[in-house]
Amino acid sequence: MGKQSWQNLIDVADIEKNDATPVQFGQQLLAVYDTVDGYFVSNNRCTHAGANLCDGYFDGKNIECPLHQGLFDARTGVAIAAPATRNLQMIKCRVQHGTLQIYI
Amino acid sequence: MATRIITPISQALEEGALSRAELKTFMRRSNRPALIRLALLLAILSTTTVLVWLSKDSMLFFPAMLLQGIVLVHHFSLQHECIHYTAFRTRYLNDIVGNYCALVIMLPHRFFRYEHCDHHTYTQLTGKDPEMIPMPRTLGAYLYYLSSIPYWKAKFSELIRHCLGQLNTTEKRFTPKSEYRTLIIEARAMAAFYIFVLGLCIASDWWAPVWYWWLPVLLGEPVMRAIRMTEHVGRPTTALMKENTRTNITNPVMQFLCWNMNYHAEHHYASSVPFHALPELHKKLSGYVHTEPRGYLGAHMDIIRQLFGNKNGGYSR
Repeated sequence: MGKQSWQNLIDVADIEKNDATPVQFGQQLLAVYDTVDGYFVSNNRCTHAGANLCDGYFDGKNIECPLHQGLFDARTGVAIAAPATRNLQMIKCRVQHGTLQIYI
Repeated sequence: MATRIITPISQALEEGALSRAELKTFMRRSNRPALIRLALLLAILSTTTVLVWLSKDSMLFFPAMLLQGIVLVHHFSLQHECIHYTAFRTRYLNDIVGNYCALVIMLPHRFFRYEHCDHHTYTQLTGKDPEMIPMPRTLGAYLYYLSSIPYWKAKFSELIRHCLGQLNTTEKRFTPKSEYRTLIIEARAMAAFYIFVLGLCIASDWWAPVWYWWLPVLLGEPVMRAIRMTEHVGRPTTALMKENTRTNITNPVMQFLCWNMNYHAEHHYASSVPFHALPELHKKLSGYVHTEPRGYLGAHMDIIRQLFGNKNGGYSR
């Protein structure tokens, strides 16, 4: 496994405001959340059945799986409502010169 | 980690049936439409309850109980909306109202949620969809299903098994392991409630729950079975959402009672879209989903036609 570093993910201007934006990063599909507490990034798959989380309902804090309505805290990745029981894998992020970067 | 799957909504987005912006608009939640509809539902229920009371010494007693039953069994539609957390914006309201509905129709709420999750994952796939109603092979089997006898047999045996602490293999598949205990406690609490009410009836010689609740539910359930059949029965047993689910165009009264769940194909495409947005989603997905313009009656004509071997029109529209 290579050394981790900050990598550009998406221009802040391209992030859907107050919503969840799907972003392809290499082989990985990530979810960028514009939450009430700032930007957060996670893997885009629901940990229950693998649905695309960015197609789900987002209220600024929690992201709901579009298939079974399991719920995750988009800021911490914690699974807060079944059938989702495993937390989301979160990826550290920061904004640098108008670009959202992830530490990966 | 879960393998990525293409959900119906991802597929619809990729095929351009609707845009992400449109989906986000449709998914907006609100408490107001459900609170208004719930208040109306309870007002209708109060009216039918009065009708049962007024007709108790007449020939209209059983018709009045049937009417009451039709309203009562449609608590299923509200409960269904609640298990998707789309009835109310405030998430816990869905749990409170859903559990009220659960008691009315004897369908444990948490259990229904998990079972229904698998119904959405494996819609109309034989052996995998836990809610699948098989296409009847004979007219007798069709009428037997409509009688609700197999439904109640399944529901009572399910409740008893869960009270005894037993979950079968299918139930263990769709329930998170950490929730096994919850389902057992839920079933026991529900059974205890019914036993308490029954005990109250016997002790006080007060039989209102029988005449205003349990008997009407039994009388009304065939109507719900008939409606449930129209959603998937007779549609191809395939994973293709465009094919396996039927939307039924129905009258405003039934649409009100079923919380717009006649737009069933749209619901399966985007189960995070609340009931009040389904008519608009239906317009958007027009031509993309299978629609039965003749409604519930048309769906049953379709089923019966297939039953007698003439499949023309069954899958082609």
